[in-house]
Amino acid sequence: MKLRIWPAKTKEKRATVLAGLILLQAICALFFIGDVIEDFREDGHLDNPHLLLESVAAIALVGGVIFLMIELRGLLSRVSDMQIGLDIAQGHLADIIETFFDEWGLTSAERDVAIMILKGLDNDSIAQVRKTAAGTVRAQATSIYSKSGTDGRAQFISLLIEEFLADNQHLGSAEAALNAKTTNAASPDASGETT
Amino acid sequence: MAAVAQQTSGRVSAREVAVWDPLVRLIHWSLALTILLNGTFIEEESKTHEWIGYIALGLVGLRLVWALIGPKHARFSAFPPSPARAVNHLRAMLSGDKTIHLSHNPLGALMVYNIWASVIAIGITGYMMTTITFFGVDWVEEAHEVIFGWLLFSVALHVAGVAFDTWRSGVNLVRAMINGRKTIPYGREVE
Repeated sequence: MKLRIWPAKTKEKRATVLAGLILLQAICALFFIGDVIEDFREDGHLDNPHLLLESVAAIALVGGVIFLMIELRGLLSRVSDMQIGLDIAQGHLADIIETFFDEWGLTSAERDVAIMILKGLDNDSIAQVRKTAAGTVRAQATSIYSKSGTDGRAQFISLLIEEFLADNQHLGSAEAALNAKTTNAASPDASGETT
Repeated sequence: MAAVAQQTSGRVSAREVAVWDPLVRLIHWSLALTILLNGTFIEEESKTHEWIGYIALGLVGLRLVWALIGPKHARFSAFPPSPARAVNHLRAMLSGDKTIHLSHNPLGALMVYNIWASVIAIGITGYMMTTITFFGVDWVEEAHEVIFGWLLFSVALHVAGVAFDTWRSGVNLVRAMINGRKTIPYGREVE
């Protein structure tokens, strides 16, 4: 998975920073606890203010470490949720592509070639990957274009893009219709004013 | 998460699963560093040696807390200390089973507990040597050294086990402990 949506990446970085802080703070806590024990061994009683303050610092640090750990766990589970969503989306994308291929009745060799075309490989590279002649790939590509009713590579790729933008386009046209209505509604007024 | 990923990305030839969170990785490599430093470069009976020892103890303590409250793969429940499971795993391995364990495999889990216990024992005997009661007591010093020898042996075994399992399962375990992800070869069963 080369492509990763960026919020996941920044969250991962934050998780790493948080883990580093936990480690450092834990070492600080250790230092204070060690110091308290050392002082106690020398002094023997806990009531002197210096020792009391150190004990409070140690307890605060330990509490902070635990709190940060709980925060880190929350952050990690959010990252993992996002990854699941991304996986599902990628799965759906693959399903949609597969549905198209089924509809067009592509052979399995053509499916391979079609996927590589979608990924942006040119015919020569596809031939290299599939270890076939460039002419074979060209013939397969032509067959794919005719089965999908497109006139070439660019239109073939745009078929899928169109599918993903379909909803937005729908929204766009609805908005346009709405705009048209309001201008229509406004124009009689305007005309009324001019007359 | 594994189930979902498996279901939806069936066509992908290999998939990556985030396994080791950053805290697990940081603790792992820090602990390795403390063992290396105290075993080789740092003068014994120096203050630095003592402090590095306490840091090692702290690291194990932190990891134990994380095993209680941390994410799924870091928890005790993901790698229970069970010799029975280890034996089963060994048997399955010998019969050619190539199931991949997302957390530690049962044999690796035993090694994890062994190393933690050794570090704790070394830390405790080391601390005892600084106390008046046990200062200069032979058996404490001997225990400290013998357990350290055992720890070195365990680390060697641990490294060998990692190399072996990387070869057996095809999952690069060292890389997983660096970037946190295990790359699962296509069609492999996951536990």
